[in-house]
Amino acid sequence: MIGTSDPTAALTVVAGAGRPAWWVVLRRELAELWVGGRALNLLLLFAILMSGTAFLLATNSELSLTPPRLMMVVALQATTSFGLFIGLIVGAESISGERERATLEALLLTPADRRQIVLGKYLAAISPWPAALLVALPYVIVLAQRDVALDLALMWSAALGTLLVFTFTGIGMVVSILSGSSRTSLFVGLLVYLLTLLPAQLPGEFASTAVGALVRAVDPLESVRQFLTAYLVDGYALDEARVLLIAPTVAFGAVLAVVIGVAAPRVGLAGGRVTPG
Amino acid sequence: MAPRDPKVRQPDGAILVAQEIARSYGERIALRSLSFSLRRGRVLGFLGPNGAGKTTAIRVLTTILEPTAGRFEVDGIGSEHPVEIRRRIGVLPEGLGFPRNTSGIDYLTYFGELFGRPGHAARRTGYELLAEVGLQNRAESLVGTYSHGMRQRLGIARALVNEPRVVFLDEPTLGLDPRGQQELLAMIQRIARERNAGVVLSSHLLDVIEDICDDVVIMNAGRVVAKGTVAEVIGASATEGGHQNVLRIRVPAALIGSAQGILERSPGAGAVSVADAVGGWISTEIGGPGDRESATPEIDRIRNAVLAALIAADIPIIEVETGGGRLQDVFLQLTAEAIV
Repeated sequence: MIGTSDPTAALTVVAGAGRPAWWVVLRRELAELWVGGRALNLLLLFAILMSGTAFLLATNSELSLTPPRLMMVVALQATTSFGLFIGLIVGAESISGERERATLEALLLTPADRRQIVLGKYLAAISPWPAALLVALPYVIVLAQRDVALDLALMWSAALGTLLVFTFTGIGMVVSILSGSSRTSLFVGLLVYLLTLLPAQLPGEFASTAVGALVRAVDPLESVRQFLTAYLVDGYALDEARVLLIAPTVAFGAVLAVVIGVAAPRVGLAGGRVTPG
Repeated sequence: MAPRDPKVRQPDGAILVAQEIARSYGERIALRSLSFSLRRGRVLGFLGPNGAGKTTAIRVLTTILEPTAGRFEVDGIGSEHPVEIRRRIGVLPEGLGFPRNTSGIDYLTYFGELFGRPGHAARRTGYELLAEVGLQNRAESLVGTYSHGMRQRLGIARALVNEPRVVFLDEPTLGLDPRGQQELLAMIQRIARERNAGVVLSSHLLDVIEDICDDVVIMNAGRVVAKGTVAEVIGASATEGGHQNVLRIRVPAALIGSAQGILERSPGAGAVSVADAVGGWISTEIGGPGDRESATPEIDRIRNAVLAALIAADIPIIEVETGGGRLQDVFLQLTAEAIV
């Protein structure tokens, strides 16, 4: 029978006895992502890509073309690149996907703060990254061939990879909040990803010009790649190499501020329009 | 708690008060000057043809969209406090989607927690609500395995997780079979009566609205064209000339041509049209369209004469309906421009 409970009791319960909304959303999103199988599918793709990369590096090793330490760093760079790609995809689908499935409106009708909703989704979208690191670990250990720098390389890659994954997942989420469809947000996310990969492919002549150097310096992914190579392979001191950490750190801070401060309050049924609350 | 705003005039017992609400999308005005009030325990029907502004109105009143003018109060809380309003309303939006890989109970627990209930309390409430909407045996089943009717009932249960003061239901019966419609509408009445909540119900089922709603707001092209109790709205329309002068007759489909000829020759009958050739429905307006002069006894006399003519011609009369005194007739009359 409907209406057996005391209607006046509800608002006292609602006054804040439960868990914070971001935690509730995070748990739900993690269940959707992992139990629903999407994260596992992406990790399978990740494992295939890592296998290919490891195979190529190992083949080079047999021909003595690449020293083990460089192989280890390259494998870790690949881990980061593929890992942030997963974050970008999950982030780009997070809001626009709900909008398309018509499940967003129910969420917006709760008193949960928009920033908390976005934070919960953001953290869930990051969750495949630690799993990707674990998947990559055996490949890296084998390729490192007991190199003494393995621990240091793993630590720096995990730290900088986390910074980059937050940054790229955040970019995906901003696009997802502002765009009208998942297709658009996935396309824009992919475009951003490819653009950040571009500096590594610049011809040597252009890369050595002032513009080329600037492009490489402001690209957080390229900066991290250069830092790992300079510090772990080329033997630069941390003080010398740490200038390369400016771009990823600034990008991380800027993206975090935009996601939570600017984009999150704009989560609405129509991409990019401010809705009350 | 957000303060009660003295600027909004609060009719006695009103749980929802809207004053001069307007909403535009760029140059296009979707909603103009919407004003009405709803008391506890009553069901208000929101009617209008497609594009009349019903969904926009509901989205404004549920804080999904901001009004471009005007304001409203829910349980004394002004529209400038959307979060506080959301704590007091329950909404079943039109075409609401559901996650497929979640069980009914997990879905309700999630929303209960988002409304601030601790996990165990949210789950307990979820089970109670599932029992209330008749889904207790499917609580652990994935929503993806639910039928459309079951999803609608789950949507209503979700709209009740916070014990709302006002419940908004946007086309809840859409796509349901007749039995499903009946069960859902009975549920809606119980929400109003037993929870003492105000219910705003948007639907195209005019006979249903007439049966279960206490009040009605009819909208057309973003404007309110009639409002009041159902009886008041029908009565006002009748006063303005909406007599029961529409006559619909069902005859065997094979004899529809003969029946049409007889009606056309009958004195007092207006133009005759075939409403449904397969079903055998024909209709005419006694005294002609827009006749505001003929008195009721005269209409009754002509109606009987028309039927007598059909009987005399040995045409079986399967069904007869009169129009003009139903909400459906008022709706068609008031929204004629939009339909044309």
